[in-house]
Amino acid sequence: MTEQRHPADRDDKFAFYMDLLAHDILNNNQAVLGYLELVLAAPGTDRTAKKFAEKAVSHVRTSTILIENIKRLLATRAVDPDSFRPLALQSSVSLSERDLTKLFPDKKLKVRVAPCVERAFVIGNSAAHDLIMNSMVNMVRLDPNDEVHLSIELKEVQVKGKMCWRISLEDPNAELPPALRGRDVESIYLQDSSTAVRLSGVLFAKMIAQRLGGDFEAQELNAKGQKKGATFVITLRKASGP
Amino acid sequence: MTSVLIVDDELFIVELYRDILQLRGYRVTGTAFDGEEALKKYTTSTDKPDVIIMDHRMPVMNGVDATKAIMKLNPSQKVIFVSADVLVEKEARDAGAIDFLPKPFRMDDLIEKMERIASLR
Repeated sequence: MTEQRHPADRDDKFAFYMDLLAHDILNNNQAVLGYLELVLAAPGTDRTAKKFAEKAVSHVRTSTILIENIKRLLATRAVDPDSFRPLALQSSVSLSERDLTKLFPDKKLKVRVAPCVERAFVIGNSAAHDLIMNSMVNMVRLDPNDEVHLSIELKEVQVKGKMCWRISLEDPNAELPPALRGRDVESIYLQDSSTAVRLSGVLFAKMIAQRLGGDFEAQELNAKGQKKGATFVITLRKASGP
Repeated sequence: MTSVLIVDDELFIVELYRDILQLRGYRVTGTAFDGEEALKKYTTSTDKPDVIIMDHRMPVMNGVDATKAIMKLNPSQKVIFVSADVLVEKEARDAGAIDFLPKPFRMDDLIEKMERIASLR
């Protein structure tokens, strides 16, 4: 297992055990992923088995993201937003796009990014990156099509006296779950646990955004006269540069 | 043939690396389940590995301390650090690790790094 530590209080102990569990699950994911790779590379594996193995790989990757989310929530639970370093939005989006193609090998992904994203920095370093990545993963999971079109727009806004970037992540074909339609993301807490579990990625996004001094909302595109589609609106504190 | 020492406290992870590396033509010189065992094996063995795959969270001695100790013995030793703790990357590189892979990673990524290291020899 891990090195000896002596957590002082109950909160620390809880975080310590959660961290140990997360670490052990990641180790197990490593083993599953490794052997699936062997199956995929074996000359005797037929096409159907390969397809199933690829789906299993995708689920292991999703499991890993969920575990990383738990670790991130633990790591940011008592951190002052001002202590976070800047994150270049463009590099975060590019990295996320690259990882999404690995995560969803069955889907064809097209991401259109507004040019101003190139010059935008937000406060939140790796936590903000997790938020961007997680939001994109959630959106792709809401889109039932094989070809997914995401677009990212940016707007400068002022929230509670602080300059922020409002990042709109839009998918014209995503299907927002009924539990999120016309409701605040935090209403997920009021749902039955099976619904809440399915929407945990969205809840995570909301919690991390708030911990970074920003916010996260999920909206339908219906409001604009369209029949389907969804937008995630992520508000993050603006950083002036790297 | 590139030789490897595998250091990880989880038996199933050690077996995974060994299975895959042997299939891909690498020679596994040994395994160790904690940093101290790795250091002992490294010091006493005459068959020094080209590459060490080093985990971090291990009992007795962690991966960073083991890497530091091994690099002290042989500053040109190649250590690939693998850990589920991404925050330890800087420490690992400062200790002398040539590369870092966050768990879980694709085995192809590990092989690619191994091949790059082998080409440097």
